[in-house]
Amino acid sequence: MSQTQIDPIRLGVLWQRTVFLMDEVAQTLIQTSFSSVIRENFDFACVLFDAKGRLMAQSSVSIPAFCGTVQKTLRYLLADFPSETLSPGDVLLTNDPDAGTGHLNDLTFAMPIFRGGDIVGYAANVAHQTDIGGAVSPLAREIFEEGLQIPPVKILADWHDNRDVFAFLRRNVRDPAGTLGDVRAQIAALDTQRRKTLALLDEQGLDSLDDLADQIIERSAEAMRRKIRELLPDGVYDAEAFTDGFEDPLRLKLRITVKDGEVICDYTGSSPQIDKPVNCVLNYTRAYTAYAFKCLLDPELPNNDGSFDPIKVIAPEGSIVNPRPPAAVWSRHITGTYLPSVVFGALSGVLPDRVIADCGSPSWGAYFQAKTERGSRLFLYFMAGGHGGRPGLDGPSCLSFPTNVQNTSVEETENALPVLVCEKELLPDTGGPGHQRGGLGQRVTFEVQQEGVSVAFRHERVRFAPRGFLGGMDGARGANLLNGEPVPAKSRLNLRRGDRLTFLTPGGGGMGDPTERSRADLAQDVRNGYVDQDSAAKYYGYHGEEQGR
Amino acid sequence: MNNLDLGIDIGGTFTDIMLMDLEGGERLKHKVLTTPRQPDLAVVEGVRELLARTGVDPHRIRRVIHGTTLVTNAIIERRGARTALVTSAGFRDILEIAREFRYDIYDLNQELPTPLVPRYLRREVKERVAPGGRVISPLDETAVRTVARELAAEGVEATAVCLLHSFERPEHEARLRDVLEEELPGHTVALSSEVVPELGEYERMSTTVANAYVQGLVRSYLGRLAASLKEMGIPGRLFLMLSDGGICTVDTASRFPIRLIESGPAGGAMAATWIGDAAQRQDIVAFDMGGTTAKTCIVAKGTPLIAKRFEAARVYRFKRGSGLPLKIPVIDMVEIGAGGGSIARVDDMGVLRVGPQSSSSEPGPACYGRGGEDPTVTDADLLLGYLDPAYFLGGEMALDVEAARRAISEKIAKPLGLDVIHAAWGIHETVNESMASSASVHALERGESLAHYAMVAFGGAGPVHAYQVARKLKVAEIICPPAAGVLSAFGLLAAPVSFQFSRSRPVPLPGADAVEIGAIFDHMEEEGRALLAEAGVALDAVTFARTCAVRYVGQGYDVEVPVRPGKVDEETMRLLRASFEQRYLELYGRTVSEAAVLAVTWRVTASGPAPAAVQHGVVQVADTARLFAQREIYVPEEDGMRMCPVYRREDLLPGATFNGPAVVEEKESTIILSGEGRATVDGDGNVVVRLVGGGAV
Repeated sequence: MSQTQIDPIRLGVLWQRTVFLMDEVAQTLIQTSFSSVIRENFDFACVLFDAKGRLMAQSSVSIPAFCGTVQKTLRYLLADFPSETLSPGDVLLTNDPDAGTGHLNDLTFAMPIFRGGDIVGYAANVAHQTDIGGAVSPLAREIFEEGLQIPPVKILADWHDNRDVFAFLRRNVRDPAGTLGDVRAQIAALDTQRRKTLALLDEQGLDSLDDLADQIIERSAEAMRRKIRELLPDGVYDAEAFTDGFEDPLRLKLRITVKDGEVICDYTGSSPQIDKPVNCVLNYTRAYTAYAFKCLLDPELPNNDGSFDPIKVIAPEGSIVNPRPPAAVWSRHITGTYLPSVVFGALSGVLPDRVIADCGSPSWGAYFQAKTERGSRLFLYFMAGGHGGRPGLDGPSCLSFPTNVQNTSVEETENALPVLVCEKELLPDTGGPGHQRGGLGQRVTFEVQQEGVSVAFRHERVRFAPRGFLGGMDGARGANLLNGEPVPAKSRLNLRRGDRLTFLTPGGGGMGDPTERSRADLAQDVRNGYVDQDSAAKYYGYHGEEQGR
Repeated sequence: MNNLDLGIDIGGTFTDIMLMDLEGGERLKHKVLTTPRQPDLAVVEGVRELLARTGVDPHRIRRVIHGTTLVTNAIIERRGARTALVTSAGFRDILEIAREFRYDIYDLNQELPTPLVPRYLRREVKERVAPGGRVISPLDETAVRTVARELAAEGVEATAVCLLHSFERPEHEARLRDVLEEELPGHTVALSSEVVPELGEYERMSTTVANAYVQGLVRSYLGRLAASLKEMGIPGRLFLMLSDGGICTVDTASRFPIRLIESGPAGGAMAATWIGDAAQRQDIVAFDMGGTTAKTCIVAKGTPLIAKRFEAARVYRFKRGSGLPLKIPVIDMVEIGAGGGSIARVDDMGVLRVGPQSSSSEPGPACYGRGGEDPTVTDADLLLGYLDPAYFLGGEMALDVEAARRAISEKIAKPLGLDVIHAAWGIHETVNESMASSASVHALERGESLAHYAMVAFGGAGPVHAYQVARKLKVAEIICPPAAGVLSAFGLLAAPVSFQFSRSRPVPLPGADAVEIGAIFDHMEEEGRALLAEAGVALDAVTFARTCAVRYVGQGYDVEVPVRPGKVDEETMRLLRASFEQRYLELYGRTVSEAAVLAVTWRVTASGPAPAAVQHGVVQVADTARLFAQREIYVPEEDGMRMCPVYRREDLLPGATFNGPAVVEEKESTIILSGEGRATVDGDGNVVVRLVGGGAV
């Protein structure tokens, strides 16, 4: 360790300063991007690398998809454009799913930070573009149907636009203004980051970021190792879970080996990749696996190369969690966002006071398309299922997990789309019974007000319920209804005026033995209609008010 | 003999009372302990004592202005009325479903705020209005009567009503209230179409519920207080401080009590504005550092920035998204867990962290000698020589230097391998870094740059930390007002009578019907005129500021832009669109020519005249500062302790100047210049510090 360079007080301040710097950069991106996915749901990350390409700081607002992923993307870019060939004002770009975060919508940009003639670090960011061309289909068979693929390219050279790259982009998307606008916002954020990083070095009298990066990375890795040693006994922990899949379910198999502060997560035995867009690249598999460990072991650990260093993720090539190109990947979150619950399942025996039961996720969302005078309008309506029961706390009803998506208000929806929302309410009795009850799902019904409206969705937990943990029972499965009749969970429907479309999102799994649930809580559950009288008797052995008071 | 204004600010510990002669500038102040259960008791006692002590004739008091934490405390402590909610059929759970968003993505055990109305008291009635106000199904009045009887049987005291799209057609809500009042005489009813007639059912519902929840409490409290003031022979009217820095009458406050939620903190921000104004500074960053938190507020062009939304009763005080959302105008402040009592620790990474955990007042910092063992910011400030152990709170409380040294040595210096002074400096520096960071991110969010700002520093720890925080922010001037401890009460007296009205009516630009929008403004301005007339403001003194929240179709974010006064016509609408694009360009660097523009919410703020700040300008009474003592303080540039002059605030006359490093002591705080800088005392008694090498002024 080069501790001689930076004293611990200065280290603390500098560390705080680099994270703060990334938050400022993130704020710039939020304010300049046009996409609501970036602005409201924070589907992006801004990161700082040292000269050796090690990730040393990441913006704090972000979603789990970017836990420890951008390192691989930078390596991929630098393999095609080695650092010694780069000049000031060069900006590299790719959306390679394998090197990035698993689908074409995520565009990663990187820029070398030059000081004098030397590269002192790299600024990079990745953000979700709503439109990258392609079919936007829940049934794509190969990546070629999913939009524009961008290999590593230099989109800016010496501060000048590479016109060919911009021309390709413009020609391949439906909404060039939106997509290119956000491309400009990402590039502007890189330059902001470059300037702020140089100002920090000057102000602090530092020659490079390397000593600081050494300290940050080594200390973070050491802290993670210490947490693992402290909380996870050496051993082997197995788990298996199934996703609904299409014709057949998909298997997610995980073996966690813990040894002396290191963890190996091995997904051998998981289903092979399929010709549907739910294949989940290894980098995304790694992100959601690492995310689970951060939540379980120390939510406060910073996001950098060190923190996730002790956690290795492996998966056989050609599997659903490490597909070979040209696998279709657009909806990779349908597979990837199951992974935290697989990790929780594997560790529920050793961390019973830290894991949570299954949530009613992956997130549900209806993609409405309506014809208007201005052409056709795409509108996304998200609706969460119930959250799993937690150690000591019930699962909240209708809460996004593990990603984080806000709903849209009913009034906004009705102003934007020719539909009437007839109901949006909690679904009684859908939370898995448990000492800590699972959260409730919801029922949302849309009534179509004019012709020319279609809807697409790709929902999960219709075949397999969210599981209860440690004696808790399963939450309710979800359902999709058209005029009261069930329709497949992965559908694209043309709707007629007057059609009623109903979604029943899944409930969260319960945690712990339901008969141990407090009678006072049960009295409230029954009084509020979260649990009906019969279920209270059947699952909880609770027979009414006289016991509850 | 001039008239006097009386300011009453009720805080958690103290109730501050200030009498001020606005023309002459004479100020009399008093402090009593707050009586949390029945806050009016302390007020009455304090006012009596102040009048008795000073011999002031109560008949001279022309206005009484009150800032209160009653509303915020009632919601935090859940002491409001037993409240029900009535919604359109199918939507009673909106209050609980909320936004489906986690405020922390890594914390699996985050608790969400519990709604103020439990599910069994949330009722639905059949009725439905579509966007634009078209009635799809009429209100089922029989169902309303049934609901009313059920609620009566549940012993409900107040009911909030929130129907979909009611801001476009308030008739159903109004009829619902009539029926409820017929069935339940004396019952409190709050309508969403009156409390916050704006698009977005969840936030509107949450705000209306909170309003109903505290309405009874506020009404009876204000009634008692007004009666007591009368009894004391005070003829002046009672006004209440609103969260956005305006004041309103008892009647308005009783109708919209939720607007009082930030009544207390608003006083501090208004005081900073006033002090800045008197010092001829229009752009101010107000920096208020107390025992557990630091608050910053940006005052741009003489007006505090206003936010459109506030969160009450956060589960985690410093986590955005963990509270109950309220859609009300409120002075925009950021608060972080950094105060004198903030605890320093070495974290898992072996790095020093300060806060947000606080030792509070019990046991307090180690140096309080009340059994606290954790090192805090106050302990560090003491070891650095920034506090005088014999003159804390003017000497009322002796500080234990050895206890501070022990705590810092054991818990910080040893684990980090530092000597105790450098460990203490580390604590000071780290907490300053956090405060500067939060202030600059806040400024960035609001599209402001602090480089040409002046800082007004107050609160017990504010002036101790202001110098280094200002340097980090590159602010060039610090203003430390005297009597920082009763600043909020002072701020109450600086506020104009005002009230903001709003109404959502989403219309495209171009394409909006100017006549319809004109009618919306006319209606709100008429209400404003009536409200202000009732508060005693002369008709010709009322001013209106119109704005509109505008967005690109498909975006969830609004940009607030001004609407020109006068008759609303096609030109008004064209200018509105142009100013939207102008402001969008300023904020985000570009416009989106392809996207359609939607004007969503129309707002009017009706204001009376603000009391003018008395500007003393440059007054030269003394040119040198009288030295009180010397002591060693830590000066970072010299990396060590250095003997520095110590002044007493009461010895510093207008015109006095001195150079940093230096210390100014007063009862309530200590001003620390831990480096170069030139300080001058101005005509108002402010110590104004010009930093060397600060930002451009």
